[in-house]
Amino acid sequence: MQVHQKNITGRIVVILLILFFTSSNLFADEVSEIRTMTKEKVDIVINILKDKSLSKDEKKEGILETIDGLFDFNLMARLSLGKKHWKSLTKEKRKEFSNLFVERLKLSYLEKLDLYTDEEVIVDEARLTKKKRVEVLTYLVTKDDKKEMIYKLYKTKKKGWMVYDVDVLGVSIVQTYRSQFSGVLKKETMEQLMERMRSSGDLGA
Amino acid sequence: MLIQSSKIISFFVIISFFLHPLMLNPLFAQEESNEYAQTHSESETDEEFDGEEFDDGFEDEFESGDEEIFDPLSGYNSVMTEFNDGFYIFVLDPVARGYEWVMPDLAQRGVKNFFHNLLFPIRFVNNALQLKPINAGEELFRFVLNSTVGIFGLWDPAKEWFGLEAHEEDFGQTLGYYGIGGGFHIVLPFLGPSNLRDMFSLYPDMQIDPVYYFDNRPYNFPKMEGEYLGMSRQSLQQTNLLMLKTVNQESLRIGQYENLKKDAIELYPFLRDVYEQNRAKLIEE
Repeated sequence: MQVHQKNITGRIVVILLILFFTSSNLFADEVSEIRTMTKEKVDIVINILKDKSLSKDEKKEGILETIDGLFDFNLMARLSLGKKHWKSLTKEKRKEFSNLFVERLKLSYLEKLDLYTDEEVIVDEARLTKKKRVEVLTYLVTKDDKKEMIYKLYKTKKKGWMVYDVDVLGVSIVQTYRSQFSGVLKKETMEQLMERMRSSGDLGA
Repeated sequence: MLIQSSKIISFFVIISFFLHPLMLNPLFAQEESNEYAQTHSESETDEEFDGEEFDDGFEDEFESGDEEIFDPLSGYNSVMTEFNDGFYIFVLDPVARGYEWVMPDLAQRGVKNFFHNLLFPIRFVNNALQLKPINAGEELFRFVLNSTVGIFGLWDPAKEWFGLEAHEEDFGQTLGYYGIGGGFHIVLPFLGPSNLRDMFSLYPDMQIDPVYYFDNRPYNFPKMEGEYLGMSRQSLQQTNLLMLKTVNQESLRIGQYENLKKDAIELYPFLRDVYEQNRAKLIEE
């Protein structure tokens, strides 16, 4: 009787333990979904770049369409300006700044793609960094080197996971713009900064 | 008694089974406290431009950029950045483009591999100093294989056959590994962005860089007598090697600097920031 009892208890414990460990995969699944989604988008972009039948403008259009749903550009604008300066702006100014910034960011991204030749992108692992933040590790591989690029995503309420920053070789796009904007705004007013962004596509650099 | 205890065990296992995903899954944790923040970072609504509060944790992920960076040489650095920029745009880049046009890709990569292989002592010593014996061992293996089978390092069989990549480490990274900060930023002529730590680290690395031991034996280069352009024959030959190395390197990344520069609002602070972030990342690895 005792032995029998032990057996049943043991079985229950084993079964529950199995369930216990598999349940943690609920989340692992979501992370791997994010990885898959990122990989899909990256593959679409690469395929567009490789497609010789498309004109340059068609390529740009297709790529922007692909990344629009992946990147939260407005959040990137807010983060790049930083809390202090963002708060000091009116709603209209915020929108205007966002638009200027996003245009610039897209332009810079597209220009970088002009350098594309035969690189492959390896989408490595996705990892959870903290609540609602996932980093997807990717490598841009050429014949003689391998550049690490990390896409940082967060969970939005309505549109799923979106990118809010990209690290290229450890250099964060948002952080770099943040330092620059705050540097410029120590010497100039917000108006002057936005005037520079309006008048020249490349801010006079 | 036994029935009792087994029930208790089952009870806890069941309870923990249900709680477990909630405890381990950060997505569920603090879901509520994040509700408010989320509405502020949602796209396609006007709300994101309304928000006054930033409690969504994003601000903590970045440096504010407001803290004063100790940059006593900023005046000199800006000027030197402009100089280097001009040198790159008007001298190095055109030369590299010409070189790229003339040289077959295979030769360019061969030259790159050759010089890279020569820098093995720097990588080996610094990996060892950073207590990375496996990396140091791989470097040694790479050097032996690439110098022999890879014909003086022109080719990289260690990577092609064994998937062993180089482990780039320099003395600046070694010092960083032991917790030594970068100090203030210094832009070096021709070499570009650096800082106090990395600048002084160039010296020990140079001591083990074979290019600086290049001897002036007559069979190395066509015979040259005496001094030329005020340089001894040995230093002239070293300069030639250095120039070949640099031009070859640049010929493999034409357009990249110009492209990077487009993200700059002001060139010097931008390049400084990019350099320091990149170094921090390299040291962290």
